[in-house]
Amino acid sequence: MTLRERAERRAALCFVAPALVTLAALTAGPALWVFWLSLRQRMPVFGIDYFAGFAHYAFLATDARFWSAARVTVIFTILSVALELLFGVAVALALRGQRVGRRSALALLLLPWALPSVVTARLFEWLYHPAAGLVNVVLGARLNWLGDPSLALPALVLADVWRTMPFVALFCYARLLTIPTAVYEAAAVDGAAWIATLRWITLPLLAPVLLVTLLFRTLDALRAFDLMFVLTGGGPAGMTETLTVYAYRSLFQTLRIGFGSAIGVVVFALVMLVAAAYLRVLRRQESAA
Amino acid sequence: MIPPWTWGPATGGPQTPYGLGKLTLIAVVVATLGLVAGCGGEPRSETLVTVVFKHARLFGDDPIPRLVAAFEARHPGIRVKTEALGSGPDEQHQFFVINLEGSLGRGSGPGFDVMMMDVIWVPEFARAGWLLDLTSSLAPGELDAHFPAAAAAAIFNGRVWALPWNFNVGLLYYRKDLLARAGLEAPRTDEELVRAVRIVQARERDPKLDGYLWQGKQSESLTCNALEALWASGTTLLDHSGRVFPDGARAEAALARMRSWIDTGISPAWVSAADEELTRRPFGDGHAIFLRNWFYAMDLFDEPGSAVLGKVGIAPLPQRTPGVPAPGSTGGSLLGVSRATRHPDAAIALARFLAGEEAQRVLAGGSVLPTRMALYHDPALVAKRPHMPLFHDIARVARSRPVTPAYLMLSTSLQPEVSAVIVGVKSPARAVADARRQLEYALSGLE
Repeated sequence: MTLRERAERRAALCFVAPALVTLAALTAGPALWVFWLSLRQRMPVFGIDYFAGFAHYAFLATDARFWSAARVTVIFTILSVALELLFGVAVALALRGQRVGRRSALALLLLPWALPSVVTARLFEWLYHPAAGLVNVVLGARLNWLGDPSLALPALVLADVWRTMPFVALFCYARLLTIPTAVYEAAAVDGAAWIATLRWITLPLLAPVLLVTLLFRTLDALRAFDLMFVLTGGGPAGMTETLTVYAYRSLFQTLRIGFGSAIGVVVFALVMLVAAAYLRVLRRQESAA
Repeated sequence: MIPPWTWGPATGGPQTPYGLGKLTLIAVVVATLGLVAGCGGEPRSETLVTVVFKHARLFGDDPIPRLVAAFEARHPGIRVKTEALGSGPDEQHQFFVINLEGSLGRGSGPGFDVMMMDVIWVPEFARAGWLLDLTSSLAPGELDAHFPAAAAAAIFNGRVWALPWNFNVGLLYYRKDLLARAGLEAPRTDEELVRAVRIVQARERDPKLDGYLWQGKQSESLTCNALEALWASGTTLLDHSGRVFPDGARAEAALARMRSWIDTGISPAWVSAADEELTRRPFGDGHAIFLRNWFYAMDLFDEPGSAVLGKVGIAPLPQRTPGVPAPGSTGGSLLGVSRATRHPDAAIALARFLAGEEAQRVLAGGSVLPTRMALYHDPALVAKRPHMPLFHDIARVARSRPVTPAYLMLSTSLQPEVSAVIVGVKSPARAVADARRQLEYALSGLE
């Protein structure tokens, strides 16, 4: 390395330093603090505060409630993200094909996304009401949506899909608008069927955008909290309790700061792992392009 | 919507941000005035003291401004600033915890002096050192005028930490008209309740008419229902020596009983996701024969236009075994004083005034139920709310939820396990064992 290169390097470091320091103070600092807390037994109400090492993690490893919450979190994430993607792309395609009223359709589409999630949850509480709820009235059934252990999680997934599908749809719709019509005309000339056009043109061109929305939605779903907190309280039988709900109950409701932090650290690690995996795929795509 | 196990239904109100700036300003002004007065050598007989009262919103026509005005008129040296809390008990608890814990040792105080607390928080806040010990400030026997279960919630380690303010008790609502048509009385035992459901359902031939509604949603309401089941089975959740489930066999029997209501069709399966309001509405619309709920529901059944107006009777919860009492659990709120208050005398005076008979009479004229026993036979109040004498007899034998600083840990660990029994994914034995294991880890190391 020449002297000049070294000087440039030093100057560059000075320039990025403010950004690095800010990021470290705002993200790495609190994260490390939470990790430190997770190694302590700290319960302010009882005046307890001592170093506990990995005792909380050891308990979590055998804690049935923790594993149930982890399972619920993963199932919820996979189901809701998959359905959101499916419906999101479908709605985006439908929107592109629509000739009139596109603007009002877009506005309507945005509505669920714009509602605060607690409002959405309250809405669904009455929609799912076993006796008077609209869902059962329409189906002509008397399903116990939020009280049946096998229905509660799917019911929450549906509510989440309703709420966040517009996010995926809008991203995809925006990308669809930028695909030149010439590509489709060429495909039509070659005699490509609708399904072939979708498979070989639309989806590959959508893929980068889809991956980014997938990343956003997955990270969001892994941290799902408000819907289950309001609609089911994590029940029945803890079947809709996600890791973040468990962490909230430990941290804020029962003030077990150390134990709750340990759950928080696990969620953090999970989210980071998934994010890293996505980023890898994204980078590979970029270098391939 | 504030869940009614706290103190009655309420519409969620916006939370006023705590006006630190304003309070500091007032404090500065007061201090400056005092200083100036001191310099001038004129002894000021009274300095204006400001006390901040942090409270949840009361349902309906808010009586707090009137009460505060009455207090200020009687104490010219004290000004009261009221500040409403967030709408749910979880938010309120979180607010108090953060502000009380954060202010300890900083000398700045939490920014409020008198606080309205849910019954289940008092021992926790007292244990944490956030509350002022009121014992020596009270007249001897001052708590005796309150229901025993309401007073029990104010006492921890033999000291008084709060004053009972309003009250709620779990009880059985029944449809007088339906039972009368079948020639039945209000049931006193499980057996009678089951029989009544069968007979009335067979008579009415209404497929929409459910039997017995209660609250099975995994939440604090479920804990209340489960505690009532445990008590009716002659046992409890936490005994005096701090043991969890002191009688495992009876605890299992209690949970099995809750499940059997659903299994036998006495209760619809959807009670497993129902809270107070989700059960109150169908009963209020005439779609159920029995309902376990709190006092507050009665006012709503008695409203003009109600489908069950004049058709609702109240009774104690059914006994599982004749002779074993089946008390209702209690809810409600108390008034405490922050230990960091700078005006303890003024704050205690406000709390005592608000918990006093005169203020509670005003509250009882609205939709709140008082903790003072005498008011339940007050002619003016009884004329307005005729069910109050009946409430009195039920409240007299009610039982408070375990008075322990670890209450929320106890309750939140219990909820998923009881819920699992109710929806049939766990046997009572398994649920009791699992809850015990969770609680033993959570409570280990606490005194």
